[in-house]
Amino acid sequence: MKNKYLLGVFGDEEHLLDAFEDLKANSYKIEEVYSPYPIHEILTGMGHKTRMTHAAFALGVVAVLGLLGFMYYAAVISWPLIYGGKPFNAFPSFIVVTLVATILIVTLGTLFFFSARAKIFPGKKAEIIHEGATDDKFVIVFNASDIKDNKDELYRLLKRHGVEDIVEK
Amino acid sequence: MYNTEFRGKLIEGNKSLGQISQDIVRPIDAKTPRWWFISMGISLVMLGLGLYAKYITVTEGIGSWGLNNSVGWGWAIINFVWWIGIGHAGTAFSIFLLILRQKWRTSINRAAEAMTVVAVMCAGLFPLLHMGRVWNFFFVLPYPNTRGPLWVNFNSPLFWDFVAITAYLLISASFWYFGMVPDFATIRDTTKSKIKKAVYGFFAFGWTGSSKEWLRYEALAFILGGIAAVLVVSVHSIVSTDFAVSVVPGWHTTIFPPYFVVGAIFSGFAMVLTLVTMIRKLYKMNDFITDSHVDAVTRVLIFVSLIMGTAYFTEVFIAWYSASEYEYYMFFKNRVFGEYAFQFWAMVICNAFIPQLFWWKKIRSNITAVFIISLFINLGMWFERFNIVVTTLAKDFLPAAWAGYSPSYIEILLFIGTLGLFGAGVLMFFRYIPMIAIHEVKSVAKYDKPSHERKHRNHEE
Repeated sequence: MKNKYLLGVFGDEEHLLDAFEDLKANSYKIEEVYSPYPIHEILTGMGHKTRMTHAAFALGVVAVLGLLGFMYYAAVISWPLIYGGKPFNAFPSFIVVTLVATILIVTLGTLFFFSARAKIFPGKKAEIIHEGATDDKFVIVFNASDIKDNKDELYRLLKRHGVEDIVEK
Repeated sequence: MYNTEFRGKLIEGNKSLGQISQDIVRPIDAKTPRWWFISMGISLVMLGLGLYAKYITVTEGIGSWGLNNSVGWGWAIINFVWWIGIGHAGTAFSIFLLILRQKWRTSINRAAEAMTVVAVMCAGLFPLLHMGRVWNFFFVLPYPNTRGPLWVNFNSPLFWDFVAITAYLLISASFWYFGMVPDFATIRDTTKSKIKKAVYGFFAFGWTGSSKEWLRYEALAFILGGIAAVLVVSVHSIVSTDFAVSVVPGWHTTIFPPYFVVGAIFSGFAMVLTLVTMIRKLYKMNDFITDSHVDAVTRVLIFVSLIMGTAYFTEVFIAWYSASEYEYYMFFKNRVFGEYAFQFWAMVICNAFIPQLFWWKKIRSNITAVFIISLFINLGMWFERFNIVVTTLAKDFLPAAWAGYSPSYIEILLFIGTLGLFGAGVLMFFRYIPMIAIHEVKSVAKYDKPSHERKHRNHEE
């Protein structure tokens, strides 16, 4: 069977980052980087962007309007009831529930966005590319078709930066 | 960047990344120790007593408690506020230190968050049972119903409290859980047991550690951290409004929200300290929870204790300065020198004076002393809740309505039951969940290397 991926396995962050920067400088196409903890340079260097913060903010705005609207409906339109002489629309005291419930909605919504975008959800079977990547190894993955022309050069580059192991799978 | 020379090492023992995973996962793979079974047995017995008390409460009603017309809130509300306060620190600890980028949080936050979730569950039981007809609990949810539709009162602090506690429980539980997902993946990929691989693999939600996952994971942590910090402050402020929006002397004060939030952080940090000193002792985690971690928490406690002392003093001072005879009576003739002087002074001594011992380095570095002082703080905070709830209700404006209060054995058993629930929950956490956030500790391990080894990685994150 033809190999699909080539894995450069590193033992620490320093070597990984040196190699990563060199690879970027030589414009190699990197499929993905796996690491036991988030590394800022990799996250920015891979060029992915997340719009989760925007989504969370948008959800917050919707939640605030929705909650205030709902309380107005319940307390003024649906069944107006006088509590201790307060007006039906006792707005300032609606803020408390609005604040807390908004936080709850944004949290649950953000978890949902995260689950959907990072594809992390209950019952998912992990596609483990290298078992050490959640323990103590840092793995750079190349797509075999991207690097077939200059494979030897890539091997040399990875070895120069102290790669521990190169796996083709 | 983190300066090791100045702040001390975060992790002792020059561990490699692999060793960090091994050391933290070891208690999960090891044989369950005997003390675990013994403590679990005790906790379950306590839990059973609590269940008995719940049975009596539900079948006979809250007439089985020691409450009366004047003192309508007794141990149930004391314990509710006490547990919520303890439950506060987990998230406070984790999130405030996350926002302030305090790297030393990584060894302790998992235990603090676990404690939060269990403590909030314990707290939630009391208002539920206090409703009397607990099976009608869902009436408190605002949903279109066939009773009118009759909606809940959105102006009531008791409803605010319900929303706040529910939100807090769900949010702290999810914050805790998603913090563990990468660690479950670590166990999945390192364990040799097939059962563990399957079980932890399921809970790991398919985590692999790719840069796409980490990018969103970081975003998630900061969004949740940012908004949950607001929640931490608001939840206990709301708990305090249960009291502060009333017009009874001793409750009707503007100092209550900050006073409650600080008190919550105080009791929670004390409980965190109790737990981490136990983890250190029982599981030999000294390399992760180092002396400097304990030192840092005790320093926070000195500071918070001073705020507590100031709050107590302010309350008493204002009672005199306001020239309101009812306030004056409540504080001077009821609390400070009156019938409830014991509870008042127990509170002041445990919360404002005893923690001052932490000024001495000798005491800060003596783990037994730290453990004992942390228990005193927990006790003191319980007395504070007693002081607030009972002393005010027992003697209000109408002397003819004055009444004493002592708990019935059912109320005491209910409290013991929650202690059992807390104990059992914490023991389950010790046994089955990585007690320290593995991936977070790994991410700070590099700061302990001598600077010549980390050539160009002097960034913050």
